[in-house]
Amino acid sequence: MTGIIRYLGRSALSWVEVTRAVLGVVSLSLNTFVLKFAKGSSATRSVLFKQIYFTGFEALPIISWIALILGLIIVTQIVNILPKLGAEGLIGEIFVWVVIREIGPVFASVIVIARSGTAIASELGAMKISRELTALEVMGIDTMHYLIAPRVIGTAISVFVLTFYFEIVAILGGYLLAGFGQNIAFSVYINSILEAMSFLEVAVSLLKSLLFGLIIGAVCSYYGLTVERSITQIPQKTTKAVIGSLRLVFVVDAVITFIFFI
Amino acid sequence: MPSEDFESGSLVELINVSSFMDSGAAIFDSANLRLRAGERVLITAPVASGKSLFLKLLSGLSSPEKGVVFLFGQDIKELDADGLNQMRSRMGFVFQDNILISNLKVVENVALPILYHSTIAHEEAMKRAFELLEETGFSGDAWSLPGPLPLYAKKEVALARALALEPEILVCENIWDFLKGDEKTHISALLNGYHARNSGALMIFTANNENDAEYSRPDRVIRIESGGFIEQPH
Repeated sequence: MTGIIRYLGRSALSWVEVTRAVLGVVSLSLNTFVLKFAKGSSATRSVLFKQIYFTGFEALPIISWIALILGLIIVTQIVNILPKLGAEGLIGEIFVWVVIREIGPVFASVIVIARSGTAIASELGAMKISRELTALEVMGIDTMHYLIAPRVIGTAISVFVLTFYFEIVAILGGYLLAGFGQNIAFSVYINSILEAMSFLEVAVSLLKSLLFGLIIGAVCSYYGLTVERSITQIPQKTTKAVIGSLRLVFVVDAVITFIFFI
Repeated sequence: MPSEDFESGSLVELINVSSFMDSGAAIFDSANLRLRAGERVLITAPVASGKSLFLKLLSGLSSPEKGVVFLFGQDIKELDADGLNQMRSRMGFVFQDNILISNLKVVENVALPILYHSTIAHEEAMKRAFELLEETGFSGDAWSLPGPLPLYAKKEVALARALALEPEILVCENIWDFLKGDEKTHISALLNGYHARNSGALMIFTANNENDAEYSRPDRVIRIESGGFIEQPH
């Protein structure tokens, strides 16, 4: 019993420690980026654009596939269940509740964690082992400004845009079934979704996506930077980065949902 | 506030510096060293005898347990992060293992310090980087990643990067190691050319011994020994 309590205590403490470090990375990234906006802007802008390209643009095909199929699956379920409940008119509401409020930001984040979070953690880990971070420091280049802030901010911008894109494609995917399978007119389908959608729904969805992006960028950078000397630490820290990002994304998702929708 | 010695041309000064290993053994014990503008200095010590620590102290990566390190007349300990970075931008480092940034192309590696520390346009910085690569004799693909390059080509790129901002202090860490005779001659000529154009630049070479001193052409040879810097007859 004491062993379990000790284990839970240790886990909680390490959680607090990681969360504090991640908050530190987020605030330092935002601070550095704003305060040193003009300094070395050409070099840091290039890192930022590359991050957006790899995290956002290159994720579009996989995001499209998943959003299209998920939209189709969700509408299939809604169309089958609602008539049994005598609530056919709720198709728009349910779609908005499920896709816009929850699945959009969460799925975009999960895909970004899998594709780019792992890349950020392993790349920074490898750079640290090969002393590239030391080389940057010795050149007088602020690694937080040049390496970390563009990654954190680039990831946030990417998740924000990917979430928006995911939701649009999911709506279109849903229409593929609603329109062709159930003979619902596109205008009827879109109107039912638009009527169910409020400014708050969209704003909260995009707020979530921004926060999730910041979290992913910061958690993965943090774990990448905690690699010390051994190359075997890179996959270990990358795994921790993935698990840590997922944990924090879901916790923050729950907190925001409680704040805005309860 | 710059020190008086800086006014008299001292760019690097270590005063009563002590640094210890984890075991408690002293690497530097009240060590003193003054390096002036325009000098070419060879610092020798066997492997793991203090050369790397000296370079860390010099670049502000490490602080001494006791004593003071002055760089360009400023006590390093008194500098904030931005102040220290500003000092570092006045120095060029050629690392023993080159340490090029692996996710940047060769030309981007050379342009990086220019882009980060100066306000010149991107195109101008890239043009300057190409010129530097040409000056060092780099003949590979400047748009390739540096990872697969041969050691000598990496050394040329590392040298081009170190010279990118025309440093007032150029540090060459064991630069002659693993180079062939003609490669050493070529790099030596490049360094001599730089010193001829920038006669006020302080050039610091580190080496395990004096075997390749002819390539460094030092004005002073200093040996790290018994926790201090011992001037060698030269």
